[in-house]
Amino acid sequence: MMPSLLRQIALNVRLNFRSRMALIYGYLFPTIFLLAFRTLYRHERLPLALHAGELLTVTILGGACFGLPTGIVSDRERGVWRRYKVLPTSALSILGGTLVTRYLLLLTSGILQLALAMAIGMPAPRHPLALWAAFSVAAIAFMGIGLDIAMLAANVPAVQALGQCIFLPMLIVGGVAVSLASLPAWAQHVSAFAPGRYAVEAIQACVTGAGLTGSRATETRFDLLALLAIGLVAAAAGVRAFRWDTRQRPSPWLAASVLGCLATGLATEFSGRVHSETVQREEQHNASEYLPVHTPTLQTDAATSPSEQQPIGASASSGPTVSKPATAHRANATDPATWQDVTREDIAGVAFERLPADTGVVAPIAGISDEPDPEIADQLQQLQSALPSWQPGKSGDPVQRVRNYLYAAAIADVSRMDPLERFVPLVVFEQLRKSIAAENLPKILYFIALHPLDGSDAAVQRLHELGLPDGPEDTRLLRNRAMMYAFKLLGRITVAPDAK
Amino acid sequence: MSAKLNVRNIRKRYGAVQALNGVSFHIDAGEILGLLGANGAGKTTAVESIAGLCEPDSGTVEVCGIDACRHPNEAKQRMGLALSATSLQDKITPREAIENFGSFYRHRVRTEALLERFDLNGKADQPFETLSTGQRQRLALALAFVNEPELLILDEPSAGLDPDARRNMQASVREMKEGGGAVLLTTHDMEEARQLCDRLVVIHLGRVVAEGSPASLISGSRTTTTVSLRLTPSLDPQSLSSIDGISAVECNGAIVSFATADVNRALAQLIPLLNSRAIAITELHAQKATLEEVVSALMNQN
Repeated sequence: MMPSLLRQIALNVRLNFRSRMALIYGYLFPTIFLLAFRTLYRHERLPLALHAGELLTVTILGGACFGLPTGIVSDRERGVWRRYKVLPTSALSILGGTLVTRYLLLLTSGILQLALAMAIGMPAPRHPLALWAAFSVAAIAFMGIGLDIAMLAANVPAVQALGQCIFLPMLIVGGVAVSLASLPAWAQHVSAFAPGRYAVEAIQACVTGAGLTGSRATETRFDLLALLAIGLVAAAAGVRAFRWDTRQRPSPWLAASVLGCLATGLATEFSGRVHSETVQREEQHNASEYLPVHTPTLQTDAATSPSEQQPIGASASSGPTVSKPATAHRANATDPATWQDVTREDIAGVAFERLPADTGVVAPIAGISDEPDPEIADQLQQLQSALPSWQPGKSGDPVQRVRNYLYAAAIADVSRMDPLERFVPLVVFEQLRKSIAAENLPKILYFIALHPLDGSDAAVQRLHELGLPDGPEDTRLLRNRAMMYAFKLLGRITVAPDAK
Repeated sequence: MSAKLNVRNIRKRYGAVQALNGVSFHIDAGEILGLLGANGAGKTTAVESIAGLCEPDSGTVEVCGIDACRHPNEAKQRMGLALSATSLQDKITPREAIENFGSFYRHRVRTEALLERFDLNGKADQPFETLSTGQRQRLALALAFVNEPELLILDEPSAGLDPDARRNMQASVREMKEGGGAVLLTTHDMEEARQLCDRLVVIHLGRVVAEGSPASLISGSRTTTTVSLRLTPSLDPQSLSSIDGISAVECNGAIVSFATADVNRALAQLIPLLNSRAIAITELHAQKATLEEVVSALMNQN
């Protein structure tokens, strides 16, 4: 069976490349989508990086839910499948060849898109292998649905009609072309029952996020499992309902294909994953990634963490206690109890070189010599003017004051306010230098970086006073970005003024 | 002689239509069987049931002793099939099609040999969409032979073939018979059936209404013989009314024709009549019913 399957795949691929229409649908249309996305998000500093999930999902959706069933139904209408049925082989074998071929076409189309995107400036995906896995699982999900469309549709026009019934809702309310966060609650519930959102989230996580590891690993793995469940159930129903001949009626087995979507939707509902924030597409970093691996060991009480380092202006005996950090600390990093306990050695131990590049997607900062575009000059000026009088910036607690200012930088990042986002941290940095004593600022920044979930986040609802959007209800990512900026600004003070 | 195909009492219903209603027949090794019948008689359903294109509601199909319903792939390994209208992917070439189809079988004929045998060398690397009807039919035949089948099923194999290609096809079928293979042929071309087939099965409304060799079907039929006479001088057709057992009397100048089931008896009455009137017979033709007329008559009777 294997040689005939391989021969069939090779033949299908060759036939596909001989068909002008197949090339147009398989490669030209995705390229047009790419250019459309580039035009739509032309103001973003990193071209397409934050939309790779959407872009690749649309490519898969088109190839799997239109290309695949159109080919199958067209061959069935012309009697090709009828001739193949006389061969000593099974429907699974014939379909297997067709599905593998379609997968290879989708894969090459995806690679072409990535190559084109990178040619116009998109950074390389951060987790290529994980991206391949996510892309493949998304392809399985949509090809399963495409197979069901092929078994349901009586002719090619019916494929187009059924495909549109899936394609358009998936784009608009399924989390593919419109981000989930901007959808109303009902649409987010609906999207949980379709594969689009899972595909976008999983692929995006592999392009700009932490891939299958990091703080979103569980979510991304859930997305992949959801896609796999939808795809395998749909494909099994499609194979069982395979129609060799136009005279055969659609099989009731096709009804079983919704079970995968149903199970996935319910799992998403009951696990509280329905409401997604835009920010969840992005990686949440862990402070421990940038902390030194050295003694003394820091645990949750002072007795087990004797510090060998002398804190600045405080005795070591005050002892470190971990204050509900959002992320797990390295077991042997120091954790001062107050900002005054922070030592020079603590700061010197920060692995600044591990921080994401200032020119990257996460927590970007403009270089000192970078000039903002004229179009954002007014907005920056407004921010610069508003910061000194901003009430949260006058907090009596210097840590809270710094934290509040950092939220301004963080919101510009998580809201993807390109090209403004990379200049906001510079304005915030300038304000911090004005309002906090030079010897205290490094210690406060270090303390905040280690305690991203500490303190109040009420200030995120007053960011509009600075001309920035207010933060979301779920401030986890905002706090995470504030942590990143705390590290980065700390680096600017202590390592190099214009690092990275 | 062992049967290469044994069809026993197969029934198949499509909605309100009973397409096959207990059809049975067999084909021995080295035999060519013609399946005849009008459109809608059940020939195609019978072929599809044998080939595995549809599953009979009841009855059994054995190919080379293998139950084709229980072990369809084993049965298919032993049969070759050319459907009346074979369609392939637009861009596939005859060479690719033969190689691809052949890859599914344990035994296969070399691609070049088939291209040569069915005169497809000139079109071996051209897309299917550019082939003429006759070339497509030749490709369908090549694909039917790709696995050196023991049982060959040909559904309207001559449709679209030019005389040369038709002769080639018939030669391949005879070659298969001589090699001990069995052939099931459906056709509307009665002359082809008469020339090629050892036995014929006539199906009508889903039932077998006659079975036998072409000669036995014709001779055993109750259809009449047409007798034509050229007479000098001519005869008034009214004069023939006294002769028993003739019908459809026609007179066209000097030629008189009539139909009769018993030529000897009709002539025995006619000759004394002609002698009494000094009328000479200058030409006499007696034409037994054709296979087409026999089959048509069988269907009308049923």
